[in-house]
Amino acid sequence: MTTTTPRLIDTELLSDLKRFGAADVSACFSCGTCTAICPLVDNDATFPRRIIRYAQVGMKDELLSSKELWTCYQCGLCSDSCPTQADPSEFMAAARRYAIASYEPTGLARILYTRPVVGSLVAAAFAAFFAVFMYASHGPQDAASLALFTFIPEGLIHWTGVAVMVVLALAGVFGITSMARRVARSEGVSLPALFGGRAQLSRAAKALWAALGVESLGQRRYRQDCKDDNPIEPLYRRRWLIHALTIWGFLGLFSATILDWGLALIGVKATGTPIPLWYPSRLIGTLAGIALVYGVSMFMVNRVRQVNRAAQFTTASDWLLLVLLWITGATGFFIEVALYLPNAPAWGYWVFLFHVSVAMELMLLLPFTKFAHAMYRPVALFFYALAADKSKQTA
Amino acid sequence: MSEQVDAGTGEGRRIGVFICHCGGNISDYVDVAKVRDALKDEPDVVVSETELFACSDGTQKEMVQAIKDKKLDGLVVASCSPKLHQITFQGVSKRADLNPYSYTQVNVREQCSWAHTDDHEGATEKAIGLVRAGVAKTRLSRPLEPLVVKTLPKTMVVGGGVAGLRAAIGLADIGLGVVIVERASTLGGWVAELGPMFPNEHSGREQIDFLIEEVAKRPSITILTDAELVSKSGSFGNYITEVRVKGQDQMVTAEVGTIVVATGFDTYQPEVGEFGYGIEGVLTLPEFTKLVDGSKGPLIYKDKPVRTIAYVYCVGNRQPAPGNEYCSKFCCAATVHASLKIAARDSELRQYHLHRDIRTYGKFELMYSESRERGSVYMKFPDETPPSVAKMADGRLAVTVVDTQTGNEELTLPADLVVLVTGMVPRKNQDLTSVLKLPVGVDGFYNEIHPKLRPVETVVAGVMIAGACQSPKTLSESVASGLAAVTQSAGILLKGFAELDPLVATVDTEACTGCTDKCLASCPYDAITTVDTDGRKVAEISAAVCKGCGGCVPICPENAIDLLGYTDAQMRASIDSLAKEPVS
Repeated sequence: MTTTTPRLIDTELLSDLKRFGAADVSACFSCGTCTAICPLVDNDATFPRRIIRYAQVGMKDELLSSKELWTCYQCGLCSDSCPTQADPSEFMAAARRYAIASYEPTGLARILYTRPVVGSLVAAAFAAFFAVFMYASHGPQDAASLALFTFIPEGLIHWTGVAVMVVLALAGVFGITSMARRVARSEGVSLPALFGGRAQLSRAAKALWAALGVESLGQRRYRQDCKDDNPIEPLYRRRWLIHALTIWGFLGLFSATILDWGLALIGVKATGTPIPLWYPSRLIGTLAGIALVYGVSMFMVNRVRQVNRAAQFTTASDWLLLVLLWITGATGFFIEVALYLPNAPAWGYWVFLFHVSVAMELMLLLPFTKFAHAMYRPVALFFYALAADKSKQTA
Repeated sequence: MSEQVDAGTGEGRRIGVFICHCGGNISDYVDVAKVRDALKDEPDVVVSETELFACSDGTQKEMVQAIKDKKLDGLVVASCSPKLHQITFQGVSKRADLNPYSYTQVNVREQCSWAHTDDHEGATEKAIGLVRAGVAKTRLSRPLEPLVVKTLPKTMVVGGGVAGLRAAIGLADIGLGVVIVERASTLGGWVAELGPMFPNEHSGREQIDFLIEEVAKRPSITILTDAELVSKSGSFGNYITEVRVKGQDQMVTAEVGTIVVATGFDTYQPEVGEFGYGIEGVLTLPEFTKLVDGSKGPLIYKDKPVRTIAYVYCVGNRQPAPGNEYCSKFCCAATVHASLKIAARDSELRQYHLHRDIRTYGKFELMYSESRERGSVYMKFPDETPPSVAKMADGRLAVTVVDTQTGNEELTLPADLVVLVTGMVPRKNQDLTSVLKLPVGVDGFYNEIHPKLRPVETVVAGVMIAGACQSPKTLSESVASGLAAVTQSAGILLKGFAELDPLVATVDTEACTGCTDKCLASCPYDAITTVDTDGRKVAEISAAVCKGCGGCVPICPENAIDLLGYTDAQMRASIDSLAKEPVS
């Protein structure tokens, strides 16, 4: 990187970052052992050492435009080998939290991360708001069969959901743009370099597939790099599988919801009515629900037991995401059970209200919690794939 | 020497020659058997042998036996440089009751085998010539006895800083009288001005007060403040000094056996504009430590709170010649310590250390680690790109630095205070230096005889150096060298007498015409004086003052001066025998 004008150091960067974790990183003296051992280091990358240096020195722009922040999934090798116990892997996690808070302009992510009490109150308030908002338009609770949409009108849920998705999309686009522009500038990637012609488009498409397909859905490097774990965890406890089941479960539930809505649109069945298990929307939803609840439950167990580096330092915001995901998944099953019970139980209606409120909150808060890595990581991986392609060509 | 010996020519002496193989160091190139055979026929040589290792214990014993059995009165060992083993074989002579000055070492290793690896014959020939010359010199040698001088049990300590005070206490405790001569009006030097110090956080002032208290308890210590040493005369172990004391018309005279110079250092004073020095908020290390030690709570400078400090290390030290090339050693540790002190008072303070290398050696390393853990950021700049300091529009200081650990990025650091980490420079003591004839190194500090093995003695006999006048030192190192000077003084003074090398110049009063202007001027030690003998003015050389340098010998127009152990006759005989005939 060459620069003409010296950059002004942000002397408050490191202390600000430490509000997000990384309490020990000051002990780092830039030896580079972390870089030497990192399984992700290729293409002459010099992280985590360089990223830590950015933070220590106060180079905020460079820190926030580092795609490397997001390629790390905290295997913890660097922290195990750090001669000064500066805990580089925890630093990387803290830097990601800091980045999530920096890419969005409202300050909500910062509150959720750095002020656990206020953050928890805010989270509870969001859920309460959705519950009260929807309960305000409630109808009767049919005692004969569980008529959920008589209780809360389907249209209300639908349009509230649409509104939430619009907010999510706006915040998401803002955050992704904010990050992508920084990374693109630092990587020297311009728009014409992506879309300027057939070759450029093809390269961009390949990078997009690598980011979204191979890595995000396929979790390739996560799988590969965890095979060296010692001791080897049984498959059901491996980090990559827990993570993959959570993603697949979440996406499965999301697509089942869309599918169910689509079936209603084409008049096959009304939303919320019982259907046999082999119905695609129900089959996908059930399997995805099991995957999600299993994945999230394992994440929570790991955090409580602090089984690995990634689970050793927990912010309130980390729990918030897990709790919201777990509630959404678990309450879905309770509703399922309630649907098949004779004499529709009254709790079925309340669980439904709870489920819908939390699901709304989960989506609304996506850009402001740890969930935001689902937006930022693919962007980083896209640039990572572009850079790898470029170095392959120049090699 | 037996009666058969001719006093003028040395003929009839019994000289033993031992030629050393030095393993193969010598014998691989010099044909030692040939040398031995050539020397066998030399007049007055009674023994000519080769030895595998002349310096080995067993061989030394055999040589002692040979000297006794063959009644030798002269010894020549052809081996290595006299720097290595002259004392060894003088010891052999002594143990065989042979006068050590009847021994001559001939260097056939450095001067023959090592120098002429490509010419074995030439090396052998040269060795034979050199050994013959050694025999010729030995033939004319006379037994000499060490010069015994009485010494005064008193030491003058010049400089009342921490090294001088500690030395004074040590000297008094072994029973020597002490005179402390301090130029300033109070004792204590630099250390007296320092605040809490590593590792026990006792202030410099407290430590000096403790030493002054201890000094006061010892009646054998005399303190002269506002005082300067202005003259020194006399000879080794018996110096007469004069001290000028401010406000007194008469000089104070003190007779002392040794002198310990502990005059300390000065701190480097940057030029205006050097790293922004002169801009408000740019301080030197002593200015900064005073600011830190003289205040409480978060740091305030000129009524403004200090939020960010940048330290620029190695200012005025480790510079390319003709600047100060040396490292002052203490400054890294002192700076890190000061930064820790202020960090403890203000956890929000941001501190950046711009350095070339951090040299917090030994136990100071722990401070460095603690400092990093407490959030101090260390930035290493390349030697060829030092930082620059300027004032910003908002009144703060901007330090521009290239950080090697961030891939040589050029960064600008906003700071409220910039501390120039200045080191030690030699004190300007021209008068004292010329009074004592102290040797000054290229760096301006006083020089010891040997940096490792004789670290406090100087070439001026009986004059020791201690503390930072010798080189930059930490407090503990200064004290250690002060105590080393105590030991050296004790070695000279506690016996009450000293033995001096008898290899000194002597005057033949018959031949001396008393012209004396040339020889007096030639002596760097002021050993030559003019005296009246039988109503005649002649030169006299004080054996106690003379160093045996021989500088006066060729100067004398009458050839009236001779150097014992290296007399004209000996040297002439050596040259004659070296040049007399082709060796083979």
